[in-house]
Amino acid sequence: MSAATTAAGNPVAIQDQAQQNRSDAFAGLSFVAPAAIVLFVFLILPLLVALYFSFTNWSGTRPLDHPEAYEVVGLKNYDRWLVSGRRVDDFYRAIRNTLYYVIGVVPVQTVFALLLAVVVNQRWLTRKGFFRTAFYFPSITSSIVVSFIFLFLFSAGGPINAVLGALSPNYEPVAWTTNNDGLFHLLLESLGITEDTVGAWVETEIMDIDIWEWIAGPSVALSTIMALAIWTTTGTLMVIYLAALQGIPSSVYEAAEVDGATNWAQFRHITLPLLKPTTFFVVTLGLIGTFQVFDQIYVLQNDQTGRTTTSVAYLVYNTAFEGNSPNLAEASAIAIVLFVIIFIATILQRRFVGGDRAEE
Amino acid sequence: MKISRTIGLVLICAMWYTLVGIASAQDMVTLRVWTGSSSPVENEFKEAQIAAFEEANPGIDVELLISPDYGTQIRAGFASGDYAEVFTVGQFDFPQWQHDGLLAPGSMYIEAQDDIYQGLRDAFTADGELYCAAKDFSTLALLYNIDAFEAAGIDAPSADWTWNDMAAAAAATTNDDMVGFSAAADKFRWMTLFYANGADVFDMDGAVAFDSDAAIEALGFYQSFVADGTGDLPGNLNAGWNGEAFGQASAAMTIEGNWAIGYLNDTFPDLNWGVAEIPVAPNGGRGTLTFTECWAVSSRAEGAVAEAAWALVNFLTGEGEHGGHAVAAAGFGVMPARAQFADLWSETVGEEYAAFVTGAGYATAPIFPLGFGDLDAAVNEATSLVMTMEDDVADALTEAADVAREIQAEME
Repeated sequence: MSAATTAAGNPVAIQDQAQQNRSDAFAGLSFVAPAAIVLFVFLILPLLVALYFSFTNWSGTRPLDHPEAYEVVGLKNYDRWLVSGRRVDDFYRAIRNTLYYVIGVVPVQTVFALLLAVVVNQRWLTRKGFFRTAFYFPSITSSIVVSFIFLFLFSAGGPINAVLGALSPNYEPVAWTTNNDGLFHLLLESLGITEDTVGAWVETEIMDIDIWEWIAGPSVALSTIMALAIWTTTGTLMVIYLAALQGIPSSVYEAAEVDGATNWAQFRHITLPLLKPTTFFVVTLGLIGTFQVFDQIYVLQNDQTGRTTTSVAYLVYNTAFEGNSPNLAEASAIAIVLFVIIFIATILQRRFVGGDRAEE
Repeated sequence: MKISRTIGLVLICAMWYTLVGIASAQDMVTLRVWTGSSSPVENEFKEAQIAAFEEANPGIDVELLISPDYGTQIRAGFASGDYAEVFTVGQFDFPQWQHDGLLAPGSMYIEAQDDIYQGLRDAFTADGELYCAAKDFSTLALLYNIDAFEAAGIDAPSADWTWNDMAAAAAATTNDDMVGFSAAADKFRWMTLFYANGADVFDMDGAVAFDSDAAIEALGFYQSFVADGTGDLPGNLNAGWNGEAFGQASAAMTIEGNWAIGYLNDTFPDLNWGVAEIPVAPNGGRGTLTFTECWAVSSRAEGAVAEAAWALVNFLTGEGEHGGHAVAAAGFGVMPARAQFADLWSETVGEEYAAFVTGAGYATAPIFPLGFGDLDAAVNEATSLVMTMEDDVADALTEAADVAREIQAEME
């Protein structure tokens, strides 16, 4: 430290300074080393290994010390799933399902989380602890258990149908967990528009799936899974928002009140802008989590709904471990594609939400 | 000084134990045995089997690992080349694992092979070589609700029941509270009828025959229950699977396996039900599906270890009292893989369930050859589309068969 204050122009001191910088750098590196090594070994390295195996034909069962364990096949796995293979339609159907899932879940859970956080942050609210626990509870419950409870709630003769049936006498029980009809299709149908009335152009195939199927919207079964996801993750995101809300100094609101700002104006012009970095964080978490949706799908999908509920992450699992010819290399290729999609989505989202962390 | 003396002492002790360990390891053979976890009763059964083996073979030390996530566990072992000497193989994993050279050939070692059911031997045979010994198996049969049949005034299914009889019974038992038949959109249900009707994935010349007339007739018959309202998918019957729909009396009949025995008797003790063989196809044929698992020996086991490993496999699956006999006498869901113990199994679980074991005589293990993973996916999709009435039976099966033809063409 003394070197820095007396240095100017003195060659010896400059040398000291350089040495000091070096030892600072060394100290800094040694502090981040444990985290960096863990990150490298358990995150970067597996990613690179997965990338490597995605260019091979390794089944995942043949021992790697076997002389013919695998061959490098270049882009064949990518070609098979993305361009010209027999399962291309399955892949893009999984992409479609996942996109509908992301677009449906992320905005809703973000808005709900913000609303709940604002509500439980109100001064007039008594029993705050109870509400905070209640809202957070779904998040800390095992997603498998919650999925089974939803399966029961939404079964054909389950409580949801019973309640809706009691409310409306004309109600026809909906098979929530097994219905493959897309919501947009149902909407169009109620307006009298069906595949036959629209014209032949909807049968044009884009990436092996016809346009009519692309615009189906999430199926009823997928929507049920989306409701489950929103219900479970909103609590976690609420806690993040709540922490951010409590970090906003009350003096800002007091000044606004003195200026005569209404509650809505305070929310719109103080709370929302100050929460922008948090919103970026919450949306990013939401995007990554929803693109990777797996366990809810694993429990809730069934023989009938495979086509409208399979997500990309589930397809990865299915390719790697299930069926008659499991193939880890192909599963790795799909996983890498999913990684790229999430990466691009996060960058785009950063552009639009503009949560530059440096502004904080 | 004192510290270095302590360290020296520790080192000497460590060396001593290592030497002793090596010396004793020379007469002891250690076998690692890996298998998947099932019900607590079955896990205890496996532990008891291994304990009996160790007692009978003092020179062999068995390290048993019952893993709840067996598939992942053994795959990690395979990938690293460091895996158990003896392990279980499911019928659907067999083609891949055999192809990857993980299993030691067993024709020379497995005792009394002719006594193992033909269907089970076929499941674990590649290029004429029997690789592993089936430990037990399950089959599918027709479950029927005795009370519903009586209420409808029809006789219980007889041994020569045909598809027409079944359709008539489904129509007769369908009422406001119940459909006649619970038909899951699962290829491993309707394919009982597929094999009964004489259909197969490939014909005699090896050409794809998945869309043969017999196949179309079989899936068409299975779909007809949903089409004419005398049956429905379990999901529409407020149930997760056939067994639940049948148990809660939402369906008078269903096709399920012997694993349903324990489930139905525990969960629905008041249900009055029986089992019959899968009805006879129009051409007089019989068929059902079998699901099995075997004990295999690692291709990396050599010499004394390999001998000990095969001794264990024969102990677990053979004719001795701890093999098939013990499986039959234990009387939990699964059936012994050897025909000689079939009667003992029926006696243990009850003669009323004998149809499951009778089916073993003509059952097929529904395994597609290696490389036909896309066919697997295509048949699943065809089944789903047909059972939700979104596709015509012939079209759906032709589409699946075309996938198989394409794969076949690529392989040549």
